[in-house]
Amino acid sequence: MQASTVQPRIGVYVCHCGLNIAGVVDVVAVRESASSLDGVVIARDNKYTCSEVGQKTIADDIREFGLDRVVIASCSPRLHEKTFRALLEKCGMNPFLLEMANIREQCSWVHSGDSEAATEKAKALVRSAVARARLLTPLLRSEGRVVPKVMVVGGGVAGISAALYLGNMGIKTYLVERQPSIGGHMAMLDKTFPTLDCSLCILSPKMVEVAENENIEVLSYSEVEKVEGQVGDFRVQVRRKARYVDEDKCVGCGDCAAKCPVRVPDEFNRSMGERKAIYIPFPQAIPPAYVIDAEHCRYLTQGKCRVCEKVCERGAVVFDQTDRVETIEVGAIVVATGFQPYDASKKPQYGYGRYPNVITSLDFERIICADGPTHGKLKRPGDQATPKRIAFIQCVGSRDEHRLDGAGAYCSRVCCMITAKQAFMIKEKYPDSEVYVYYTDMRTAGKGFEEFYQRGRGEGIVFVRGKPGEVREEEDGSLRITSEDLDSGCILDLSFDMVVLAVGLAPPEGLVELAQRLNLSRSADGFLLEGHPKLRPFETSIDGIFLAGCVQFPKDIPDSVAQAGGAAAAAAATCSRQKIEMDPLGPVIDEDLCIGCRLCEMLCPYGAIKVEKTDRGYKARSIEVACKGCGVCGASCSARAITMKHYSNDQIVAQTKALLEVS
Amino acid sequence: MACETKCPGGKTVGAVLVVGGGIGGMQAALDLAGSGFFVYMVEARPAIGGTMAQLDKTFPTNDCSMCIMSPKLVECGRHLNIEVITNSTVEKVEGEAGDFTVTVVNRPRYVDPEKCTGCGVCAQHCPVGAARDTFNAGLGKRPSIYIDYPQAVPLAYVIDRDTCVGCGLCENMCLAGAIRYDDVPRERKISVGAIVLAPGFRAFDPSLRQEYGYGRYPNVVTSMEFERILSASGPYEGRVLRPSDGDIPEKIAFIQCVGSRDRAHGGRYCSSVCCMYATKEAVIAKEHAPGVQATIFYMDMRSYGKGFDAYVERAKKEYGVRYVRTRVAEVSEVPATHNLIVSFESEDGRVVKEEFDLVVLSVGLEAPEGAGRLAEVFGIQLDENGFARTDALDPLATTRPGVYVCGAMQGPKDIPETVTQASGAAGAAGALLGSARGTLVREKVYPPEKDLRGVGPRIGVFICHCGINIGGVVDVPAVVEYAKTLPNVVYAERNLYTCSQDTQKRIQEKIEEHGLTRVVVASCTPRTHEPLFQETIREAGLNHYLFAMANIRDQCSWVHMHEPEKATEKAKDLVRAAVAKAALLEPLERLPIEVKRSGLVIGGGLAGMIAALDLADQGFQAYLVEAGSELGGHLRRIHYTLGGDDVQAYLRELTARVVSNPLIEVHTSSEVMEIAGYLGNFRSRIVDRSQGNGEAGAIREIQLEHGVVIVATGAAEFRPSGFLYGEHPAVVTQSELEERLASGAWPLSRAKAQAGPCDEGRRLTLGDESGGRRSVVMIQCVGSRDDERSYCSRVCCSEAVKNAIRLKDVDPDADVYILYRDIRTYGGRETYFEEARRRGVVFVRYPEGQMPVVSRWGDAATGDGASARTGDSCGGGDSDGRLVVEVTDTLLDERLAIPADVVVLSAGIVPNEGNRRIAQVLKVPLDESGFFLEAHMKLRPVDFATEGVFLAGLAHAPKTIDETIAQAHAAAARACAVLASGAIATEGIKSEVMKSRCAGCGLCVEACQYKAIEIDPKDNVAKVNSALCKGCGLCAATCRCGAITLKGFTEEEILAEVSALC
Amino acid sequence: MADLAVEGRAVGERQEGFEPQVVGFLCNWCSYAGADLAGTSRLAYPTNLRVIRVMCSGRVDPEIMTEPFLHGADAVMVLGCHPGDCHYLSGNYQAEQRVRTVWMVLDHLGIDRGRLYLDWVSAAEGARFADMVSEFVERVKALGPAGGGPASKEGLSRDEFTFRAEVSRRVVAGERFRWLVGRNKALSEEGNVYGEKVSPEKAGALMQSVIADECVRAAIEVLAGEAPVSVRDIASRLGISAQIVLEQAAYLKRRGIIELYDVLGRSPRYVLAGARA
Repeated sequence: MQASTVQPRIGVYVCHCGLNIAGVVDVVAVRESASSLDGVVIARDNKYTCSEVGQKTIADDIREFGLDRVVIASCSPRLHEKTFRALLEKCGMNPFLLEMANIREQCSWVHSGDSEAATEKAKALVRSAVARARLLTPLLRSEGRVVPKVMVVGGGVAGISAALYLGNMGIKTYLVERQPSIGGHMAMLDKTFPTLDCSLCILSPKMVEVAENENIEVLSYSEVEKVEGQVGDFRVQVRRKARYVDEDKCVGCGDCAAKCPVRVPDEFNRSMGERKAIYIPFPQAIPPAYVIDAEHCRYLTQGKCRVCEKVCERGAVVFDQTDRVETIEVGAIVVATGFQPYDASKKPQYGYGRYPNVITSLDFERIICADGPTHGKLKRPGDQATPKRIAFIQCVGSRDEHRLDGAGAYCSRVCCMITAKQAFMIKEKYPDSEVYVYYTDMRTAGKGFEEFYQRGRGEGIVFVRGKPGEVREEEDGSLRITSEDLDSGCILDLSFDMVVLAVGLAPPEGLVELAQRLNLSRSADGFLLEGHPKLRPFETSIDGIFLAGCVQFPKDIPDSVAQAGGAAAAAAATCSRQKIEMDPLGPVIDEDLCIGCRLCEMLCPYGAIKVEKTDRGYKARSIEVACKGCGVCGASCSARAITMKHYSNDQIVAQTKALLEVS
Repeated sequence: MACETKCPGGKTVGAVLVVGGGIGGMQAALDLAGSGFFVYMVEARPAIGGTMAQLDKTFPTNDCSMCIMSPKLVECGRHLNIEVITNSTVEKVEGEAGDFTVTVVNRPRYVDPEKCTGCGVCAQHCPVGAARDTFNAGLGKRPSIYIDYPQAVPLAYVIDRDTCVGCGLCENMCLAGAIRYDDVPRERKISVGAIVLAPGFRAFDPSLRQEYGYGRYPNVVTSMEFERILSASGPYEGRVLRPSDGDIPEKIAFIQCVGSRDRAHGGRYCSSVCCMYATKEAVIAKEHAPGVQATIFYMDMRSYGKGFDAYVERAKKEYGVRYVRTRVAEVSEVPATHNLIVSFESEDGRVVKEEFDLVVLSVGLEAPEGAGRLAEVFGIQLDENGFARTDALDPLATTRPGVYVCGAMQGPKDIPETVTQASGAAGAAGALLGSARGTLVREKVYPPEKDLRGVGPRIGVFICHCGINIGGVVDVPAVVEYAKTLPNVVYAERNLYTCSQDTQKRIQEKIEEHGLTRVVVASCTPRTHEPLFQETIREAGLNHYLFAMANIRDQCSWVHMHEPEKATEKAKDLVRAAVAKAALLEPLERLPIEVKRSGLVIGGGLAGMIAALDLADQGFQAYLVEAGSELGGHLRRIHYTLGGDDVQAYLRELTARVVSNPLIEVHTSSEVMEIAGYLGNFRSRIVDRSQGNGEAGAIREIQLEHGVVIVATGAAEFRPSGFLYGEHPAVVTQSELEERLASGAWPLSRAKAQAGPCDEGRRLTLGDESGGRRSVVMIQCVGSRDDERSYCSRVCCSEAVKNAIRLKDVDPDADVYILYRDIRTYGGRETYFEEARRRGVVFVRYPEGQMPVVSRWGDAATGDGASARTGDSCGGGDSDGRLVVEVTDTLLDERLAIPADVVVLSAGIVPNEGNRRIAQVLKVPLDESGFFLEAHMKLRPVDFATEGVFLAGLAHAPKTIDETIAQAHAAAARACAVLASGAIATEGIKSEVMKSRCAGCGLCVEACQYKAIEIDPKDNVAKVNSALCKGCGLCAATCRCGAITLKGFTEEEILAEVSALC
Repeated sequence: MADLAVEGRAVGERQEGFEPQVVGFLCNWCSYAGADLAGTSRLAYPTNLRVIRVMCSGRVDPEIMTEPFLHGADAVMVLGCHPGDCHYLSGNYQAEQRVRTVWMVLDHLGIDRGRLYLDWVSAAEGARFADMVSEFVERVKALGPAGGGPASKEGLSRDEFTFRAEVSRRVVAGERFRWLVGRNKALSEEGNVYGEKVSPEKAGALMQSVIADECVRAAIEVLAGEAPVSVRDIASRLGISAQIVLEQAAYLKRRGIIELYDVLGRSPRYVLAGARA
């Protein structure tokens, strides 16, 4: 793409950013240097270019000087490019005639020790930006349609909340859940802190609401396989796993399970109880339908039995069901796939998995729960005895600097309060038990949290600062912990009947694959990366895909619900648009040069280039709506027939040359 | 004997397998297919064409090799009755003569030849450049998907799987969808009645001759590499550059006999062609780079073929090529310049070191690669040099009945001999399978032509994209739109490939749909594609000639690729011109000519008898007319061959077969007085004197009607003058000597042969029985290579060697001297030369222009001391009948006087006196020496330009028995191809005379090369014989009165084109 | 041409006062964000690096990698997302393929491959980015100025360096090179059209041979674009055998890229087609 033949009229604005830039860079010198550059009609320095005053100055100049290119030297374009593009548009200019020089994040902030060099660098960056600006061409954004539907992936409390928000806004919502029932981890909890509400009591009405909301379609026992398209127009392929039970016919009477001969450890109860091969995960499950565990079903594994089929009066058992893949079109996606508890067996020093009386906090939830395997009676798994001395060990799988064994360096945020809750519940039910909590730091930042913690202390729970090195099992099944109390400096050598490991929250299984399917980035901790840690906490780098709940980072229920609300609102906003404007960063293919080698077609990760047979041979054609503008095609094109819009070789070369000019 | 065996089994399959697609294979295939047999041509390489395709020019005419060969290529590729199976080898041969089952394995090509249009886009972009370009003799690289050369047949690319990395680019780019990566080897069985082997040769690998530095020194190249350097289609586009630095070499050395005549490396035989090709390359190099000084280092200059000596003379005189007789000892390199030092012994015995810029090694011809395997598969025997074993008296038959051989597989030979043998082998195969002729061939049946009377021109225009070859440059849709606006155009469309199968169907549909009466195709060159489209429209009921073509590729898009707009305009112009011409086109008739199924053979010598027998064996009547009273001709004077065959026994048997053959009518003591008519319909008047033993009263005049004529009038032995020939009884010619040797008149008793040195003076003369060592001196080139007869008589060196060995056989003590200029024992004959030397025959080379002098003993005009080595020391007053031969020995640079008991003159071969008369009768030309002149030296060695007349034996030029036999078979085969067809379709484009305008001046008669015009004595106007007219239009252009028009290219049509273009 | 490399200095020697010019191509999503994070975190690093933002490291054309050397850059950095994290799924793998092959070209031309740097920086790795830049600048200082003559590792003069950089730019702009770079990974990982995985050795050998050819061709084009040159002129300029030059010159001549200008003595001289006035 060649620049217009008319000499461009460029305005350059060098931002002080208060003292952020001006404190290091001699902005006046930069401005002066810029004013002498080819095509620069006006160069100014402003205190805050992004401020209203700053923007007005630019708007005035555009009018007054007839500017047709604007160069802003300020902060990162990642921060303000959109702002200034909007400004240009408001002034009747094409927004792509803006170029920014990042003289803050990549200059003043990192070269504060050498003003002179920083100033020289700033000049070079501005020179380069001007060089590129000369070659910028107006681009038209392409438009895409908007499908006014949303898919929520993950049926935990975050997903449920998001779906409800959306459904209640009248937006058709698909709630996709991998398990046979929605509910997620919250359904497994006994009580919630700090109010000690019964977890399922507050969740289950919402689940019922989901089932009853006519705008929400629950796709349980289903997984996202493939995502194509872009904001406003995603096509999601969902694998509906065979349930072998007709959801509509099943009334949940349980006759089938009663007769089923196969007993399987019950994962809902953390394998501390049993279920049948045909089962319902928990009585309040939504959908309230049984499911056949194909891995264990005698008929499906050995070819005979079919007892459940016989006993089901409604004929809801359908053995000839198979997996099927449905393609669902939506305009936005909310990802709320939650977390998985850290696998404590990866810390062999604590003996989880080896010592029956070492359990995790989630195991404890099931044990203490009235619906659980012990019907709410505190019994230790080893011998079903009621433990008298109980220890909690905090930060198992969290705050692990070495990040060994899959543990996170981050704080899982909720474990302190979970432990406080669980210790409190023991004390409440068994006041004479001795409860010790080994902790690193007690983190009780939240409404009512500190108060709850103090209540626990008041009840006689012993909080010991220190992380035990190991847990040893004695012959009688009791567990010995030797640890230093960092507050007193004493070595404590204590024996317990049961040890509860407060496991951290880890990214859920399969998140890597899901991220790839959705083309989302993950942060260093393995959770999905939000659009901006401060300002775009539930957005992602992909327009139209939003995050809710622990898939973004560990958080407690209210935070998850709050984020779900945000994500739902953003998704709804997307769906309420008539059309989506897309950045026109795609390839321009010069068919005279294209030799039809198909390299672009083969390398394009989005299938956004197809080679077609034409009168003049095979020629590559860009499929604009599918293109994301990465430029792989342009950089690979064997015949150099592809020019990337807004990132053409000409522009980049001009930038390069300008950067290297000796000023 | 090729023709005597009939198929032993009951079944005779009317198909022939030809192995090898070089010039030999192509000729054999075309002759066979033309005479009613289906041909499977199996070629190992991806395309046919063979070595000839790689040559730049051919000697001695300097014709462009590809230009003269490509019509045959195209014909083979398109012939309805030739199936070209490339990239394939024969794995198994079962059965017997008449009914073979052959297993052919087709190596994967990875490209579907049916779909590939040869557009070349794949090769242009293939990223691999790893393989050496074998077609360019390894100079430069070629991509992994390639064709050998642009004219390749089939014009289909092939993937070299060894170097292909499998990147997939070619498939991505192939618009025709021809790439097949999943191709696998395929085996098929074919059924044939006979097999012709023509696999060619392999060039000697000169790196085996380490002293010449090939492979070590970049500027030492082989003759084939140099051929490619010279070729305009070669790596340097014909510019003579040397490989080390791309400079133009000034001094070029050619080293002969690399891998030939060499006991240690390569063959002991002579490769026959190197002297001539080196001379040719030297000449062409000089033409391409005038500064070149070429030096040819040779041992004997073996320019023995027709016109060869004259060519060498021209090379010397006109092109300044220097010939140095020596054997080069070593080549070394000057490292700094990469120049080369050639070390050799000069003729005066000094060791000379001379610096050259480039050295060309004239590598010999070896048996083809895998000849051993070939022999195994086909069950044939090889000779000691690895070539197919054949009999001198049956040179085309291998040791397995039904399997014939031609070309270099039988022994090194040049193109015309290969072509001759190929036709001969085809004839032999045809004779074997005569009964199955026409059983397997396909014939094209056309619908009747549409009656277009009263229908104006309705033109359909089809414009080809040729993939992107045209479409990438020319805006084809715009040309189509333009074509639609032209007058008379009722339909226009564009095609991705107009030549593709589906488009042919489409054109036919459009002819029906739009009632088209003329078709214009704008695509590539009419030279390759016009016949295809003509067939297409003919199949749709339109006359062949209602077709015009615009060449918008070769002469437009390919040459104006950087100016697409202008190219588009030009394409429009060309289409407009073609449309303008098309509007005026008229249907032309291709008149079938009825063919009389008989042949006249003039001359009853070896060639004539073989030819007559072949005609008869193939089922045609033969009239054999011999001027002498007996059949046999020159052969009657030959008694044995070099290999020792009994020639006279052969002759007796041959004569008996001729005489007893019911289809051969023999007329001895007869002369052809007049031949009238033309191809297929000759009428001759013969005068037969045989009945009355030459008495005048018994002369019988016979009228014969026949379809073809074979001229085999033979030649005569030169009658020497001088040398005391005819004056002294001990001076004889080679054939006289042979006569005596054969009759037992030699040797004489050896009872008193134990004479001491001083008895030398009393050596025996012929017939003297007194004993002692006899001295026989043979003098070569008597009557050859002199001012009067500049040509080499070809056979004399071998004859001398043959008789010398025979002398040594019967008289081991005899001193035999052969005084020669060059010993031309080409091919396998070289081994006999070697044997003669081994047996003590003394070879003395005398200088050009200094003929040895024969005198009676005592009369010798011996100079000072020149007699030192004669028998003088023994006194020797006795001079009755004893002779002395004086000669300058170039090696010793001494004048020798050699006493001789017998002097044998190797008298040359001279054309028959009667040739001139026959030439007039037949209206065929003679060459400057008085031999008959063939139609084309290289590719039509047994044809005359006058169709239906063929040539064989000594009448054509001096040649040996096996060569004569091969040529006779060839002439017969060519003749049979005419006879077999029954009727011949002639070209529709012919001249037409408007009688009213013709002044009868006869200029056109002179101009016509094909003798197709005569002045009709009745009206005194020119008359065109449409059977003979080739449509060249020379007459029309010559005619002063504008009385002649060329149909299909009338003035009106041409003017229409011109005005459309302007 | 690598054999031509003039003996350079010992590696690691510091160049006093040499401040290298480094151009960086950073992808928008990870590395540019990482660089911003370094700024947000106020992590100081040397000023030598000047950044050009691209959407993806996969956008960085090999031509763009070599271009800076023509304009005085001493080194080039290409930074992208960590493997598996590419915002555009696989652009960084393409970048890696390209850098690896451009390294081969630089090796072949006697330019130290250390002048072209590839690494991955995530949006969260501000500190790592700052450290990386600091370290890289030090390493470039040790290499010395590009074209710094004896003061540089390669020992190439400025003109020679620029010439070779121009050759490298043309090589990487060539169709054959680019096609193979694009296919390389798939050929060895997914297999070729025959369903065989091309061994890295074979793929490497092919790439080497293509680079060898293309370097000579590009050099001929550059030289024939300046003045009429003979095969021997070119060979002595490049310090390679004239035989190799002839083969490539003949190829370029057949393709109409160069044409005969005149014959000086016995040496034909060639110019770039169309350059003949």
